[in-house]
Amino acid sequence: MLEAENLCKFYGSVMAVQNVTFTLEPGQVLGYLGPNGSGKSTTVKMLTGLLQPTYGEVTYHHQNVHKDLIAFRKILGYVPEEPNLYPHLTGEEYLDMVGTLRAMPPSRKSTRINSLLELFSLWPHRHVTLGSYSKGMRQKILLIAALMDNPDVLILDEPLSGLDVTSVLIVKSLIQALSAQGKAVFYCSHILEVVEKVCSHLIVLRKGHVLAHGPTSAVREKIGKSSLEDVFLDLVEDVDITQVVTDIVGVVASP
Amino acid sequence: MISRTKQWLEERRCAFRRSPFGCLVELFLGRMFRGAGDAEAGELDLGVGVILVLLAMPGLLVSLLMLEKYGSLIRFLSGQGAVDPFRAALPDEYLFIVLSVSVTGAAALWRWDTIFLDRRDYANLAPLPLSLGAIFFANLCALLALTGVFTFVANGASVVLFPIAVVGSRPSLSLFLRFAAGHAAAVFAASFFSFFALFALAGLLTALLPPSAFRRVSLSIRFVSVVALLILLATSLTVPDLLKRLSIANAHRVALLPPVSFLGVARTVWAGANDAFSASMARAAMIAVGVSLLTAMVAYAFSFRRSFIRLPELADARPMARISYFLSLLAFSRKLPFRSSTERACYHFVSRSLLRSTAHLQTLLCFLAVGLVISADAFAAGSHQFSTGPSAVPTVEFLSIPFILGYCTLVGIRFAFEIPLDLRANWIFQLWLDPDRHDARSVVRRALLVFSLSWMGPPVLLVTWAYWGWMTALLHTAIWCASLLVLVEMLLIRFRKMPFTCPYPSFQSHSPLLAVGYLFGLYIFKSWLPELDQWSVLSPINALWIIALVVSAFAGLYWYRNQMLDMDKRLTFEDLSRSTFL
Repeated sequence: MLEAENLCKFYGSVMAVQNVTFTLEPGQVLGYLGPNGSGKSTTVKMLTGLLQPTYGEVTYHHQNVHKDLIAFRKILGYVPEEPNLYPHLTGEEYLDMVGTLRAMPPSRKSTRINSLLELFSLWPHRHVTLGSYSKGMRQKILLIAALMDNPDVLILDEPLSGLDVTSVLIVKSLIQALSAQGKAVFYCSHILEVVEKVCSHLIVLRKGHVLAHGPTSAVREKIGKSSLEDVFLDLVEDVDITQVVTDIVGVVASP
Repeated sequence: MISRTKQWLEERRCAFRRSPFGCLVELFLGRMFRGAGDAEAGELDLGVGVILVLLAMPGLLVSLLMLEKYGSLIRFLSGQGAVDPFRAALPDEYLFIVLSVSVTGAAALWRWDTIFLDRRDYANLAPLPLSLGAIFFANLCALLALTGVFTFVANGASVVLFPIAVVGSRPSLSLFLRFAAGHAAAVFAASFFSFFALFALAGLLTALLPPSAFRRVSLSIRFVSVVALLILLATSLTVPDLLKRLSIANAHRVALLPPVSFLGVARTVWAGANDAFSASMARAAMIAVGVSLLTAMVAYAFSFRRSFIRLPELADARPMARISYFLSLLAFSRKLPFRSSTERACYHFVSRSLLRSTAHLQTLLCFLAVGLVISADAFAAGSHQFSTGPSAVPTVEFLSIPFILGYCTLVGIRFAFEIPLDLRANWIFQLWLDPDRHDARSVVRRALLVFSLSWMGPPVLLVTWAYWGWMTALLHTAIWCASLLVLVEMLLIRFRKMPFTCPYPSFQSHSPLLAVGYLFGLYIFKSWLPELDQWSVLSPINALWIIALVVSAFAGLYWYRNQMLDMDKRLTFEDLSRSTFL
C-alpha cells in the first residue's frame, strides 16, 4: 500500500504541490488529472523518491520510502513523461542494462527482454540505436523497462504519449489486467477518455491543490456531470472554450 | 597455463560487466566516448576507433620523425660523432612532453561536457534501485579509465619508438630501459597533469556556478584553455633551442613552464639522484600532478552533489543570455544585405544557431583560437618594426594578421556548417525553400561576409591608416577584402544546402583531404597573400596584378559553377539518421 500524507513541495518560495493525501491500494488504478503546471510531475517525482517533499511523507507499507529508497525502487516500475534515453544504445542493450542494474538473474532477464520486445512489436528493431527510434518506440521501451522486473507498484506519467492506436489499446487493457493481478497503478495523464476507462479512482489537481478525490464514478456524480470531460472543465478550467476558439480564429484570419 | 589465465581473466571481465557496478562503468565509458546528447544534434560523433587514432597520431608521427633524426647514418653524414643520448634528446623530450600535455588536454576539452552526469543520466538511473554511491564511484572509475586510455594512447607510440630512435643502436639493454623509463614517466605524468587539471577546472565550475552561468563561462574557459594549449605547443619551437644554449641548471626562468618541470622527471630517472636541480623540478612536477588529482577529486565530489543529486530541484538551463546582446547588435546587419523575407529568415536561423549552439560555437572558437595564436606569433615577429621607429611600409608579419584571422574565422564557420543540428526540425526548410533557387547559398555567402568583414574590416582600416597613412590602409584593406571574397566563393563552390541541416557522413568521407586543403590555405593566407599585399603597398601599380588575379579567380569559379549539372546545384536535404565511423 502506497500512501502520500500531506505532501507539500516548495521550490524556493514557489508552491508546487500542497497537502496532497491519498492511498493507493494493491489492485487499484488511481488517475491523477490536472492541467499543465498543476503539480502532477512534482507529485510523481516525490512518489518515486526523486524529490524530497518539503513537508509530508510518502510511505510504502507504512515505511517512509526515503528511509530505504533502494528497497522501494526494487518494487517500483516507473514510466517518466519524457523518453530521455541513451541514444547510443540499442533497444536490447538498454533493456539489458536496466535488467542488470535491477540485479535480475541473467536467464530471467534475457527471457523477459526477448518476450516483451516481441510482444511490443520491437523485435525487428532490437539492434537499432535508440537515437533512431520514433517517439512511440521509445515509449514502448520505457514501458518494457518498467514492467520487466514485475513491480508491485507502477507509476505511469503519460504512458500513451506517441503510441499508435493498437499499442494504446494494448496498454489500456494491460493496465487493467495488471491491476486485476494486484498491482497498484498510479496513472498520470491528460487524456480524460483513457483515465475514465482505466482508472478506478481519481484525483483532480489544480495549482497544486486537490480539488476532487474518490472513485471515478463518485467524483462524476458528486459534481453532477455525465462525463469526466465535463467534470474536468467544471473543476479546473475557468475559460470559456467557445470564446477562446473564436478568438484564435479571429487572430489567424485577421489581415 | 597462459590459456587458463586468459580464460580466468575473461570470466572475471564478463562477471564484472554483468554486475550492476560494471554495467554502470561500461555505460559511463560509452557516454564519455560517444557524447551525452543525440549524435545528430550538434555532436561530432566520430566513433571510438577514430578518436583513438586521432589521439595516437601526433605522437606516432613525431616518433617516426625521430627515427630518422637519430638514425646512425644521418648522424654520420651530418658529421656528428657519438653523442650523449640523454643530453642530445632533451629538446625532443620537451617536444614529447608538450605534445602529451596538448593532446591529452585537447581530448579532455573535447569530452568536457560528458565527464559529469547530466539530466539524461538522472532520468534513466535515479528511478532504479541503485545507491548514489554506486553511481558516484562508477563514474569516477570510468573517468580514471578514460584518463588511462587517453594517456596510454596519446603516448604509447613515443614510449616505444623514441627510446628505439635515440638509444636503440647502443648495445646496452639497461641504458635502453633507463631511457625508456625516464621518457615514459615524464610523458605519462604530463598527460595525467593535463587531464586532471582541466577536469578539476570543469568540476570547480560545475560546483561553484549556477547552471545558466556555467554554460556561458564554460565556453569561455574552454576557449582560453585551447589558446593556452596552442601557446604551449608553440613553445616547442623556442624552448628546445633555449635548452640547447642554456645549461639546465641555469634555466630557472624556463623551468617555470609546467612541461619543463616534467623534463626534471625524465632527467631524474635517467641520471639517478645526482642532479639536485632536476630532482627539485621532478618534485615540483609530481606535486603538480598530486595537487591536480586531489583538486579534481574534491571538485568531482562537490559537482556530483550539485549537478546530479540536486538536479530535479533545478530548472532547465536557458539559452546563453549574453548571446542575445550580440544578436541584437547583429540585427542591423540582417536588414542591409538580406532583402527578401526568406533570406532574412534563413540568416536569422544561421546566425542564432551558430551563436547559441554550444557545439557550433565551440568549433568556431577552436578555429579562432588557432588564428589568434598564429596572429600573436606574427605580431611578435613583426613588432620590432614599432621598436625601431616608424617605417613607410608595414612588415609582411603585420600585414598577415587580418589575413590569418579572416581565414580562420571563415573556415571555422564553414566547418561548423557541417555539424548538424536537430535533423527532425528540417521539415520547415524542406517545406518552404525552393530547391531550384539558390537562396541558401546566397544567404550563407552573405552571412560569412557579415561574420568576418563586419567586425574585422573597420579595425584593419583604422589601424593601418593610423600607422602608415590612408593610401596604404585603403590598398591593404581592399586586397584583404578581395582575398576573403575569393575565399568565401571557394568555400561555397559545391555548397547546396542549408547550414546545420544535413548529417555529415559525406563530409567525413573526404575530411582528410579537406584538412590538407585547410592547411595549404592557411599557408597561402599567412605567407603568400601578405607578401603580395606588401609588394603592392610598396608600389601601388602592382595592385593591378592583384586585381587581375582576383578577377581570374572569380572567372574560374564562375566557369566551374556554370559547367556543373543542375542536379548538383539543387538544394539538398538528407534526412537519414546519424552515421558514425565504427
